[in-house]
Amino acid sequence: MLVPALLPEGQSTYLTQVARPTQAPAARTAETEAFQIPSGYGDHRIVLMVKDPWWLYAYWEIQPALERQARSQLAPEEFAGVQSVLRAYDVTDRDVPQQPAHGWFDIPLSGMASSWFIHANAPNRSFIVELGLLTRTGRFLMLVRSNRVTTPRAGPSEIIDEEWLTTDDTYWKLVGLTAGIGMGASEAAIRELLQRKLLSPGISSPGLFSQSKLPKATGFWLQVDTELIIRGATDPKASVTIQGQAVTLRPDGTFSIRMALPDGTQVIPVEAVAPDKQQRRAITPTVTRQTDGHAALPIDGTQPATRAKFEV
Amino acid sequence: MSGDQGFLSLVLHTHLPFVRHPEHQDFLEERWLFEAITETYLPLLERFERLANDRVPCRITMSFTPTLLAMLGDLFLQSRYTKHLEGLIELSEKEIVRTRWQPPFHRLALFYHHRLTTARRLFVDAYHCNLIAAFRKFVDAGIIEPIASCATHGFLPLMDYQPAAARAQIRIGVQAFEQAFGRRPAGIWLPECGYHPGHDEFLKALNIRYFLTDAHGVLFGSPRPKYGPYAPVVCPSGVAAFGRDLESSKSVWSAEEGYPGDAVYREFYRDIGFDLDYDYLRPYIGGAGVRVHTGLKYYRITGKTDHKEPYDPDRALEKAAAHAGNFMFNREKQIEHLRGMMDRQPLIVSPYDTELYGHWWFEGPDWLECLARKVHFDQKVFQLITPSDYLARYPRNQVVQPAMSSWGYQGYNEVWLNGSNDWVYRHLHKMVDRMVELATREPQAEGIRRRALNQLARELLLAQSSDWAFILKTGTHTGYAYRRVRDHLARFTTLYDGLTRHAVSEPWLAEVESTDNLFPFLDYRVYAHTNGSSTST
Repeated sequence: MLVPALLPEGQSTYLTQVARPTQAPAARTAETEAFQIPSGYGDHRIVLMVKDPWWLYAYWEIQPALERQARSQLAPEEFAGVQSVLRAYDVTDRDVPQQPAHGWFDIPLSGMASSWFIHANAPNRSFIVELGLLTRTGRFLMLVRSNRVTTPRAGPSEIIDEEWLTTDDTYWKLVGLTAGIGMGASEAAIRELLQRKLLSPGISSPGLFSQSKLPKATGFWLQVDTELIIRGATDPKASVTIQGQAVTLRPDGTFSIRMALPDGTQVIPVEAVAPDKQQRRAITPTVTRQTDGHAALPIDGTQPATRAKFEV
Repeated sequence: MSGDQGFLSLVLHTHLPFVRHPEHQDFLEERWLFEAITETYLPLLERFERLANDRVPCRITMSFTPTLLAMLGDLFLQSRYTKHLEGLIELSEKEIVRTRWQPPFHRLALFYHHRLTTARRLFVDAYHCNLIAAFRKFVDAGIIEPIASCATHGFLPLMDYQPAAARAQIRIGVQAFEQAFGRRPAGIWLPECGYHPGHDEFLKALNIRYFLTDAHGVLFGSPRPKYGPYAPVVCPSGVAAFGRDLESSKSVWSAEEGYPGDAVYREFYRDIGFDLDYDYLRPYIGGAGVRVHTGLKYYRITGKTDHKEPYDPDRALEKAAAHAGNFMFNREKQIEHLRGMMDRQPLIVSPYDTELYGHWWFEGPDWLECLARKVHFDQKVFQLITPSDYLARYPRNQVVQPAMSSWGYQGYNEVWLNGSNDWVYRHLHKMVDRMVELATREPQAEGIRRRALNQLARELLLAQSSDWAFILKTGTHTGYAYRRVRDHLARFTTLYDGLTRHAVSEPWLAEVESTDNLFPFLDYRVYAHTNGSSTST
């Protein structure tokens, strides 16, 4: 393995202008920075999405004129207590509005809501939602209707293919095998385990960018490390070694290296050889680090339990 | 020699979002790419070199996302990476000096210096900064079966509302693959294993033969799959779906029970970037001046304690070999079991994020190499093959409609649709509407209008990356994810307004083109709404 010459402390050939601020933002950046994400687009629309087998999500945008128009259809006695609601229809295998929905349920909305997570609790069913006004008398005035979505299945299909016949027993054994509990477990145990696997955050992508720092220790803490800087100067054309290893000199003949200083005694011969290879100079500092104790200090500080001693 | 009781498919999904900021001198998030190159891509390529030199037969399926391919092929980022690597090499030189009186760390400083100079030799001298060509070499050698992915890693199940959006993600993804690899992809990695019934029709139109789902995508398919996830099923469209095996996934993925958590492996979170004096690190942590991971990590996991022992690469390598042996043994047992239950050879599909190997699990590339060698030399039960190889052996498979599913937390769409990121979709949907509207209205645009329409499509695609929603959910780097959604929406909106008012500013357009410069081949008409457009390519 190639060992490079000791690189002077504090010197970097890599980035010479580290502290330089980033370039002035380009025109496009200024424009982009000023951009405000719009709260709406002036549409009447409601969009329905699937979160999982049990939950749907809808967002919407309604212009006041549309709501005013709807309210104008109300009889005066209907005005009091009109409520904005989301009405979710189960339209599984139904071609609405030609065919009636299987049923519906209402979600009363609070004032400013423009989106809602809907607990439909119905895997493998199809839904549409309507946003509308509900009167106390039960009249529903639809403002907008959503697209249709189908929730995913949350368990095995009941349909068995005759050509690819399988038994319950075999199916659950295969499920058990991929869920990692072997062959002997009961169907109920496997079902439960599979569900837990799906819930487990540990077996899918962490993503390269989701790295976070190591959680900090809780409670009060103290950490101490020591480093040693050895610096000096000589003829810029001289060659210098520290503990026998060559050091790179700066153009003005100065040098400095930085080292972690563990407990113990370091004898550090620094030797310079003149450009003519005839003259030599040697200076040998000795450094000792001794660290005591890791105990907590009493709050008044009378009993220092930790001492570090440096001798040069 | 490997045997013929069954098969194992290792699938590595290689992805990073498009992060390229020439407008800044130095940009923190560009380090995602740099870290992945140093810690994952180059170590993997080095091990493929060794396997190829030793003539160890090895078949690994790798997807490469178009955003990553665009970055790997980008001269600007290549040169930034080279500079970044120079900095790390210099830091490792200083570390050799600094750790002189601490033998365990000194040894590690030398170890990193060697690794980093090897990385430079590979990247600059051997591969001429072009890692796509480097991977292609192993495609030609028969080690890698490359597969495509979606243009910007858009999460398809949430594009159900606008099939044109999903179709474009797939089509542009396949085009990007063809540009990079000069061939049609046999298969595709649907981002986050996100499948929605019907999207296989878009794959069919491009002659893609297979995709991958999570275990329950196949297990909850209908009719019930006879072989569970241990053989592919075929969608009504004729495209095959391969289900993930959870058991083999878990042994690598799981931070708790998986191999990567072993005490002798390198501790990811202890990095000199956080441990050493700020002034000393300052030249190497980038313009923002915040402490970052440098990749120089001196400790092993040790245990669930704050006290960490120095890392020992030799011991870790031995453990990686032992874990490869354990993984192989478990697959042998699994396949022997399955062989008794099935009237055909079972296939175990084990997909992973490529960046897990090396970046998160430092010893992962060694584990992979050991596994390939052991499978070849040390057992007689199974072989490594790719999904295509399996389809060639078993062309007839059960027709099953797979279930909507993903490999995200809870198995469906929750990671990308929850209270932290749901606000994104009303904007993404509006952008798609506008894109389709303009592309349909103006099928013959030329000159600056054509350029503006193409850039409009790029901004839409970039905003759709599943990564932004994912980051907003996980809570780290959220400011960056928010800015990305906003910036692409802003550029899209400015372009859209310019196009509708016939007032696109050319200098501004040129600037945006040079920043978000991916997919030079892109044709906005992919979004045009025409009758029967779903079958033409």
